Amino acid sequence: MTAAKPILLAEDNPRDAELALAAMEAEHISEKVVLCHDGAEVLDYLYCRGQFKSRLKGNPAVVFLDLKMPKVNGLEVLRTIKTDANLRPIPVVMLTSSREERDLAESYALGANAYVVKPVEFHKFLSAVKELGTFWGVINEPPPENCRSTH
Amino acid sequence: MESASNHHSQPPFLAAEGPTPSSSAPAGPSGFSRVFVTWFQRLTIEHRVLAGFSLVFVGILIVSAVSYHNMNILLANRGLDGRSQDLIQLLSNVAVAMSEAEDTHRRYLVTGEASYLEAYKKVVKEKPTFTTYLNDLIRESPEQLPRVGLLDRMMDRQLNAESKAIAQFQEGGFRAVKKMAFEGAGKRELGVIHQIISEMDLHERQAISRRVVESAAGTKTTIVLLCSGALLQLVLLAWVYYLIRHDITERRRIAGELQRRGELLESANKELEAFSYSVSHDLRAPLRHIDGYAALLRKAVEHSLNDKAARYLQTISDSAKQMGQLIDDLLVFSRMGRQEMLHTAVNLDQLIKNILSDLRLDLQGREISWTIAVLPEVQGDPAMLRQVFMNLIANAVKFTSTRRIATVEIGVEHPSSTEIVLFVRDNGVGFDMQYAPKLFGVFQRLHRADEFEGTGIGLANVRRIVHRHGGRTWAESVPDNGATFYVLLPMRRRDS
Repeated sequence: MTAAKPILLAEDNPRDAELALAAMEAEHISEKVVLCHDGAEVLDYLYCRGQFKSRLKGNPAVVFLDLKMPKVNGLEVLRTIKTDANLRPIPVVMLTSSREERDLAESYALGANAYVVKPVEFHKFLSAVKELGTFWGVINEPPPENCRSTH
Repeated sequence: MESASNHHSQPPFLAAEGPTPSSSAPAGPSGFSRVFVTWFQRLTIEHRVLAGFSLVFVGILIVSAVSYHNMNILLANRGLDGRSQDLIQLLSNVAVAMSEAEDTHRRYLVTGEASYLEAYKKVVKEKPTFTTYLNDLIRESPEQLPRVGLLDRMMDRQLNAESKAIAQFQEGGFRAVKKMAFEGAGKRELGVIHQIISEMDLHERQAISRRVVESAAGTKTTIVLLCSGALLQLVLLAWVYYLIRHDITERRRIAGELQRRGELLESANKELEAFSYSVSHDLRAPLRHIDGYAALLRKAVEHSLNDKAARYLQTISDSAKQMGQLIDDLLVFSRMGRQEMLHTAVNLDQLIKNILSDLRLDLQGREISWTIAVLPEVQGDPAMLRQVFMNLIANAVKFTSTRRIATVEIGVEHPSSTEIVLFVRDNGVGFDMQYAPKLFGVFQRLHRADEFEGTGIGLANVRRIVHRHGGRTWAESVPDNGATFYVLLPMRRRDS
């Protein structure tokens, strides 16, 4: 059941995306990853519009959000997700280079479920992404699709 | 009298006016005014204003005193004039009365008519009243006193002579007094009386005209003094107004300037913040890529990788990591300068204990003899002070790593009641004192990277934090014979 749910990775930098995918490949979860290159694409995916018009219905298991992205940045995407009753249950993990206090504070204030600073060292980055992918994509039980009715 | 006080009032006014047109330094009585001007220029604005108002006050006092004095003289003169007029009147009455006494007694001697005798007796009866009035009126002018005495005596003698003649007439009839009846018994005395009276009259008239001149002069000086006093006070007040206004304008300008600088500083700070944010975010990404792709490359060519190539790849990774560390250190350093500071009591004993417990992993396998004094409580930011002692103690541990038995001493000195000096002393490799000024600089290292690791930011952070606490840092060392790092902190809270 969880296996069907995709992992949404929002990452504008193709190298970071490639490294993240390489990390998840080792855990055999890379095929579940849907890559979005900016915040607008994330919203298109979540609302099934634009290039994602004909995708299978249903929310992703988790959204990995970069903070700094073109068009719509991570915090704006986070705000949209957490203010939409249908999208709010989706776990959102901030995956960013910034360890600035105000980014942390604002992310949690908007309702982020986790905040992870990308380590500079690749082996740490590797293990962080592996653990995140495994935990949120495999171990964690995502909210049921009909939980919106409780709101 | 009034002219004397008028002169007296002039110098302060002139002196006060002197410095206002400061361009025209008077060459004449320059000694006093030059001293005064230099004294004045050293005064603060408050004292200048106070001096101005004091001079105005003194001026008002002097003008009031002189006016009061002149007014009193005027009033006194008016009183004296009244007396003089009364005296002149009385004197003419006396002259008339005495002439009448002479006339009536002669007529009585010639005619024997009793009505003349009655008229004569009336004059005799009035005589003491005249004397009383005269003495009363000349009380204020002693120079008339001998004349009044002479007049009184002459009147008595005249009346006596006349009474004697009347008595002889009543005893011996007309024949006995025939000569006197024709010549008059007191004729000689009457002549003297008229002379005295005219002298006194003249004296009083002269006094009156003298007083008129005197009053006019007094009134004139009063008016002149009032006008000049008012003018000088106006000038002084205008000068004080100028001083105050000038000061206010200056203060307003400085306040504006301060505000402008504050705004500039704030915008510069904001820019710096944006800059360090961008550094923190954007500079880390390429480093991550370098390390990441080096790792991926290693994995991809794992089987054909020789030792040399493996070392190259390792160096690429290490360099990326090192740069990441440098960026992190720099960000901490920059944040340390901008961060809000707390001001609370910090228990240094507890602080050091916590640091040593945090360092226990680094202390494994090391033999270190610790000497830690009882440390006082200081005022400051606990997290920042923790960073200071963490850096100093970690340094001591690091630079004694070549010693078999390391010794580290943490102590305190009290050079004065307002300051406290804390020190960390070790028996490590030390440093050459000629490089001491570089010690606390950003990214300054006195040892090669393969001797002791580190980015060279620790002591820069120490100095920055201690400066923000209003203190100082310095170090002493003998190469290969240990080093001592000092931190001076003020004991009282610094409002920054």
